Amino acid sequence: MLKVNSVYKSFHHICILNGISLGISKSEILGLAGPSGSGKSTLLRCMQGLEKPDGGFIERNGKTGFMFQDFQLFAHMTVMQNLLYAPSVAPGALREKKEEYEKRAVTILENLGIASKSEVYPKSLSGGQKQRVALARSLMVKPDILLCDEPTSGLDVATTMDVVALLKSVCETGVTMVIASHDLDFLTKISNRIVLLKEGRIVINIEVPKFDDPVAFLKEYY
Amino acid sequence: MERLLASFLQIGAGAIVTLQMLLGGILISSSIGTLLSVIRFSKSKLCTFIIDRFVSIIRGTPLILQLSLIYFSVPGILGVKLSVLSAGVVAFGINSSAYFAEILRSGIESLPKGQFEAAKTLGIPRFYMWKDIIMPQVFINIFPAIINEIIALLKETAMISVIGGMDIMRSSQTIAAEQYEYFVPLCMAGAYYYSLVVFIEFIGRKMENKMAYAKG
Repeated sequence: MLKVNSVYKSFHHICILNGISLGISKSEILGLAGPSGSGKSTLLRCMQGLEKPDGGFIERNGKTGFMFQDFQLFAHMTVMQNLLYAPSVAPGALREKKEEYEKRAVTILENLGIASKSEVYPKSLSGGQKQRVALARSLMVKPDILLCDEPTSGLDVATTMDVVALLKSVCETGVTMVIASHDLDFLTKISNRIVLLKEGRIVINIEVPKFDDPVAFLKEYY
Repeated sequence: MERLLASFLQIGAGAIVTLQMLLGGILISSSIGTLLSVIRFSKSKLCTFIIDRFVSIIRGTPLILQLSLIYFSVPGILGVKLSVLSAGVVAFGINSSAYFAEILRSGIESLPKGQFEAAKTLGIPRFYMWKDIIMPQVFINIFPAIINEIIALLKETAMISVIGGMDIMRSSQTIAAEQYEYFVPLCMAGAYYYSLVVFIEFIGRKMENKMAYAKG
């Protein structure tokens, strides 16, 4: 679904990604773990095409969606407008019928439990609600691969559990996911596989179900 | 009393000229200013250089010089005779566009980079990104600075008297010269200018409150 081939990336002569190679198969949830500055977000941004690798290349089979750590909702638009805007201006070939994407937006908001907030502006939403709107908006473009950057940062334990359930339900619809987070508990709850990054290199790549206590195992390499 | 009323009405006619220049100036400056700031973000080095020079020259030379150049020199160079009002509108518009472009530039730069990236990841075409995502948010953020610029422009229109425009200032000076009495006509001019400023501030505050919902 997504293949990362020896990707290198530097900012101001500081090496952030140092030859990363990685493959992600369909409907997999891959967790990218690692301390701050390990290159998780940069790798995710390269996967989305927001950063151009200095070396190596990334193959994508399908459309990607991206959830930003700080949501990046459009503050001057209501929740519904945030969801409907991109499909309404999609270039000719990708344009759908208005009724279709409007119906989809309502369904997504209902599934995420925020249908009552559809006419509200982002300013008056809580962190958890903003997170759901950001997820809803990225699902509107019908992504085959969803890339999530720190989806639980700033959320309390209960909301984090909600996010786990939400992302799992999205994965069940056939969407492949890559989730970058420094929260090992969260990642082990949601991912099939976890890649631990450190100083721009892959330290370890584990299948989560094969471990009784994957958090303890990962902490040894952290 | 009658003389006072006549003076008041005469200056009122000047206020209409002032308002015409102000509205024309706003129209030109907002159009050129928006265009300049968007082109500047195209990352073309040549465009950035040209726009930076334009802004620097306009801000670095007196408005009275720009006004005189447009009114007295353009007919000689282009063979087009401009009316006092048109010359004023063009000069004030171009002058203010440099300031407007700078206000917009700072507004665009202060918007999180993530807003551009979010638009990109959602596949929003560039034109729509600028029109519906970036500019509306920038406009809301820089609105107080725009109101400041409009008030500054209103007061700068008094410069039109240099080329003979019968605005508030010139009308009051004419009355003063006719009546050998400066205090009352000039106070009337001040009252007109101040009333207009208060009105602009009032509208500005109303609009700002209306837009508060959309501030990040």
